[in-house]
Parts: sequence; structure tokens; C-alpha cells
Amino acid sequence: MALSNEELKEKILEKSLKSPKGQLYVKDFYACDPEAKPRAVKNAANELVKEGKMVFWSSGSTTMYAHKERAKEGDK
Amino acid sequence: MPKHDTPLMDELEKGPWPSFVSDLKRQAEKSPQCWDIVGQMELSYKDRMTHWKHGGIVGVFGYGGGIVGRYSDVPDKFPGVAHFHTVRLNQPSSKFYRTDLLRKLCDLWEKRGSGMTNLHGSTGDLILLGTKTEELEPLFYELTHDLEWDLGGSGSNLRTPACCIGKARCEWACYDTQAACYAMTMKYQDEIHRPAFPYKFKFKFSGCANDCVAALARSDLSAIGTWRDNIRIDQAEVKNYLSGANKANGGGTPAKGDKFDIQKEVIDLCPTGCMWMEGDTLKIDDAECTRCMHCLNVMPKALRPGLDQGASLLMGAKAPILDGAQLGTLIVPFIKMDPENEFEELVDVIEKCWDYWMENGKNRERLGETIQRVGLPTFLRVMEIEPIPQHVREPRSNPYVFWREEEVEGGWQRDIKEFRKKHAQ
Repeated sequence: MALSNEELKEKILEKSLKSPKGQLYVKDFYACDPEAKPRAVKNAANELVKEGKMVFWSSGSTTMYAHKERAKEGDK
Repeated sequence: MPKHDTPLMDELEKGPWPSFVSDLKRQAEKSPQCWDIVGQMELSYKDRMTHWKHGGIVGVFGYGGGIVGRYSDVPDKFPGVAHFHTVRLNQPSSKFYRTDLLRKLCDLWEKRGSGMTNLHGSTGDLILLGTKTEELEPLFYELTHDLEWDLGGSGSNLRTPACCIGKARCEWACYDTQAACYAMTMKYQDEIHRPAFPYKFKFKFSGCANDCVAALARSDLSAIGTWRDNIRIDQAEVKNYLSGANKANGGGTPAKGDKFDIQKEVIDLCPTGCMWMEGDTLKIDDAECTRCMHCLNVMPKALRPGLDQGASLLMGAKAPILDGAQLGTLIVPFIKMDPENEFEELVDVIEKCWDYWMENGKNRERLGETIQRVGLPTFLRVMEIEPIPQHVREPRSNPYVFWREEEVEGGWQRDIKEFRKKHAQ
């Protein structure tokens, strides 16, 4: 059974904090709940940004997500 | 900010053409940070490398696109451009601007940024070049509240949709490109403002195969106007072209030679050879016509698109310089583009395609690259589209025919021992 939205957000946040990579693509979060639709994962990750727990990092052509505590200092 | 010694940049002011360096210097009188742009560019020319870093976490609250972070890697030398972010604004359909709004925008941009603009960037948006991080939120507030103007797309978002001039001025537009562009912009606001995809995704809407918005070359999904029935021919006007009373190409491009030669300029140039003359009557075998628009362009008074109009959908175009460009591939030969049902048929195709690409596209893989990787037959199956001859690019080089399980009676389930018993007989 797919995780609830709150459970999914928790998993995403945990992954963004513990992953060896500081910045992750939205697809990297799909594994947080293999049963969830990509759109649901994307929405959950975007909610976390809105709540101020994660940030977007964008090169201009592509966008990645980072835990707020792991956002690159130089980019702040 | 001091002026810099810029002999290389000054060279670009010589000659008869307009010079962006002169523009920068003029703007620098009002916005001194522009001196630092000229200075940093001079240094780039000397070093033969860029001194811009791009990307970052800058943005405005609630949005994951529309602002592109730009930083100088020599901020000590050029403090005026230490951060110098780009802002993308969603341009109006077909780029019809109200001049009072443009004046207000320029005033706002001189207050909140460098005053430099780019109409339009290669993305199609109206670009505001250069502001500081602390100016972004006030700029965004005033843009949206005072000017009612929104940001465009950037990053892994749906990019700002763009369309040709369409039915506003063009008699060839086979559907209302502005209506389609506006409808998709409003429907997919979330996808424009927040990242949703493995990489960027672009829509472009052209009213006919002249493709004035270059959708075929640049957009992951292009809707190009076409028609299903026959080209409308006015034989009296054909005769006027033959006699010289009508100017070919609407008078825009002079006919080669003394007189308009329909054989040379129209019939011989038809890519499918579907036209011929019988006396002074023009004949077209419409079943063979590819709707390329050439004959209509040359003889606009005599030939017009058919009346059963809609669009062909092509997918997978991209135009990166380094990775190599790719034109769109025809996926859906014809759909109706009906504003009355909110472009329902188009929306069905878009969402089916997005669902597949979001799940199967690799990071930083454009839709065209996904289609190439999985193969067109697989993609057509996903899109639930029956293959047609126009989907075939070349005769097959692989002699095998691969059947899918559902196409074989009994599927893949069989008793191998039983099979071998028969085989032994």
C-alpha cells in the first residue's frame, strides 16, 4: 500500500538528509515509495520546499532538491 | 562603480551595426553595475573563458522556476555583478504587448534591477537581466500585484508555452494558437512554476506548417496546424498568377525570371509531386499531399488550407548546441484543436506522454532522448497510437519480427516437453 502523504514527506526528508549526494533529482525520491505515482512524489517534495524544509537548486536548465541544512553555503 | 579599461569591448562599438556594448555603457549612466558587466566581459575575452557561474538556490517563495541564479566568479574585481540573477517573465501569447505595461515594467526593472532586458530570450520569455538576491521578492511582489505579470518557467519545469501570431493576423492558421497557448499555460500553472519532470519540457504552437515559432525544431511537444480535407483552389486566381496579374509569394519575393513559371516554382518543387496542370487548370492529388505549405505560400490568392482543420502533434525536438539538435517526430497525425472543449484531445495526449516520461525518463533526459532510447514502436504503444506509414523513417534493416505476448494465441505459456515431442516427430 502506498504511504500517506505525510509518511512520504518524512521519507523524502530523511533521504535528502542522509543521502551521500547533497542535491537530488526528483526521480531519486521515487524509491521512497515505489508504489506512489511520480506526480505524488513530486508534489510531496514541492510541499517540503514550501514548508521551508527543503530548497530547490536550479542550474537554470534543470532543478534539484536539497535539504535545507545541506544547501550549498555559496548559494545562500 | 568605476569604469574599466575595456579596449576589446570597445572594438565591438565600431562598425555600422547596433552595438550591445554601447547599450551597456548608456545604461551604466543610470545603473552603474553595468560598468562591471563590461569589465567582466573584457576579462572573459582576455582569459578566453566565462566568469559567470550559473545556478543556485535563488527564487521567490512558492515558485521553483522563473529565476536563474547568476554569480560572478571574480566578485572582488566586479562587485556590481557579484550576484546578477536573470528573471524570466511569461510573455503574452504571440508577444502582443500593451505599451503602457512595457513602460511600467521598464520603470520597475530600473528600480529593482539593472534595467537591462532581452526581448526575447531563446526560451521565448521576456528576460530581465541582472538583479541582486534581496531584490527578488520585492520585484516579484510588484510584478504580480501591480503589473499582474507572472514569471515564466525554468529548470525541470514546463517552460513558458509559446505560439505563433495565429488567427490574430494570419489567414493560414489552422487553429487558434493563442487560445491553445493560453489554455495550456493556465491549465499547467503548477508544472510551469514548480519542477515536475526529469528535465525541461517545452510546448510550442504553430498555426500551420510554415511553423513561424519553430516548434518542429525546439519543442518537446509541437502542435502544428494542418487540415484533413482538400486544399481549396480558386482556378480564376490560378489564371491570374499565370498571366502575371497576381504577384507570386504575395509580392514579397520576386519571381525568378521574367514571368511566374508555375511548373518551375510550384509543381516541380512539390515534395510529393502531387500537382500538375491540365491546360490552365491546376490539379492536386490531395491524398499524396504532405501539407508542406509551399504551394500556398507561392500562390496565396489561389490556394488555401482545407476546412477540416486541426493540428499534427510532433514530439521530441530539442536544440542543445553540445549534445546535438533533433527535430520532432510525428506522433499524432491529426487532432481537432477545439477551445470549446478546452483542447481535450490535446490534454489527453500531453498527460499520457508526461505520465510515461516522468516514470521512465532518466535524469536530464529530454523526451526525444527517451523516445530514441526505448524506440518509437514502444512509445507509440504507450501513447496507444496505431502505427501508420508516416511513422516509418526508413525500411527496416532487421529481418526479425518480434511478437508481443498478447499478439500470440495462448501467449508465452506452453508446455515445452509437449512441443519437443511434436518437434521430434
